[in-house]
Amino acid sequence: MGRGRILIAKPGLDGHDRGAKYVAHLLRDAGYEVIYTGIRRSPEQIVNSAIQEDVRLIGLSLLSGAHNVLFRRVIDLLREKGAEDIMVFGGGTIPPKDVPGLEAMGIKAVFTPGTPAEAILSTVSKLLGENRSAGAS
Amino acid sequence: MRELVEEVRAGSVRAASRLITLLEDNPSSVPELLLHSRDWPQVDLIVGITGAPGVGKSSLVDRLVAEWRAFRPDWRLAVVAVDPSSVFTGGAVLGDRIRMMAHANDPQVFIRSLANRGHLGGLTLGIRGAIRVLGLLGCRVVLLETVGVGQSEVEVSTVSDITVVVLAPGHGDSIQMIKAGILETGDIFAINKADREGSERLTAELQATLKFTTPRVHGLPPQVLKVSAARSTGVAALRVAIEERAAKLSALRAETRSGAEQQELREFLLESSRRRVESILERPGVLEDLLKRLAKSDADLAAITSELLTRAGTGTDTD
Repeated sequence: MGRGRILIAKPGLDGHDRGAKYVAHLLRDAGYEVIYTGIRRSPEQIVNSAIQEDVRLIGLSLLSGAHNVLFRRVIDLLREKGAEDIMVFGGGTIPPKDVPGLEAMGIKAVFTPGTPAEAILSTVSKLLGENRSAGAS
Repeated sequence: MRELVEEVRAGSVRAASRLITLLEDNPSSVPELLLHSRDWPQVDLIVGITGAPGVGKSSLVDRLVAEWRAFRPDWRLAVVAVDPSSVFTGGAVLGDRIRMMAHANDPQVFIRSLANRGHLGGLTLGIRGAIRVLGLLGCRVVLLETVGVGQSEVEVSTVSDITVVVLAPGHGDSIQMIKAGILETGDIFAINKADREGSERLTAELQATLKFTTPRVHGLPPQVLKVSAARSTGVAALRVAIEERAAKLSALRAETRSGAEQQELREFLLESSRRRVESILERPGVLEDLLKRLAKSDADLAAITSELLTRAGTGTDTD
């Protein structure tokens, strides 16, 4: 059985996906099935893909500064489509002062530049684990 | 599972994608699903798209989807794209979808990436179940993209109604053409990147080879078409060729598909038998003991095999 399916996506207009690809690779090596959807995607494309791919987790990578707007749109769309059980984490050049706001809107974790790989992996594993026990109870 | 099935029947994409996950995680439930879903709406046309890594399968699938959407606007379509799992970690990066994002917001197009999870053959164990679910969701055409294949992953031709082998210039000389393997499975050969140097020669070599090949399917010789997914040329002709060929073969479809079901059952039975025997061999000391008996000429391999099959057959010895 697969360890868990994760979608890695880049919303918005910045075309720098080294970080997104790094995280995709990292998660692959940790045994996850990672769907990467490429650069410059709309929140609608990302949410539709996440639903068709039946992922449990979406990782959004963004370097343009539009995270407050685009992350919220993803969260809202998931709710609209009855898929709010799909969890979202984010990463990129996000100022620390924005992190509490993102978490308040429902982003489960935010990884700012310099986050060690282990921290990403342990958070992802915790998120998937938490959801599993919640689903079982 | 029954609830999910009803939701899929009512058109829920979410339920369909969940059901596919369930089948993927429990491939042993697929044969049963196949038996109990004979009265479900079925996919009209299953098109296998196969070829070596990097020849442009995903891009061509993307263009074919656009083509079908334009010519059959009321049809729902699906793409199932398989990529390899890591043999070492079980993880995978599934990237076929990147080429198909133009269809992400089209409610009539369902795209799903699957990892092969160690299954050799170019597809994945739950694939026939996934196709059945897509039929229930109302998909008329399923494009089935294999992993980038080498020479012997021919499974796609047992699942598909029409198999398209995608080739591109720069992937080997004429000797590659006469080897057994995927070249024997093609109903249609799409020479992609037809704008590139070497495509004329590849086309000529392929046609020369196919002249001496016995048609796989009931006397219909394979076709060779030049396409360019990047420039969207030849794609309309490819769709037409697929549909025309499918129409000619429609009388045979029931036969092909029931053959596919038998094949599925066969694989499942072989796999579950193998697992039973394996669970005996995995017990501590069993192999050691067998080796000792062999060394003492206490028993030969044939006798030990029969013994194992008996033990596995009674089920008392298995988990």
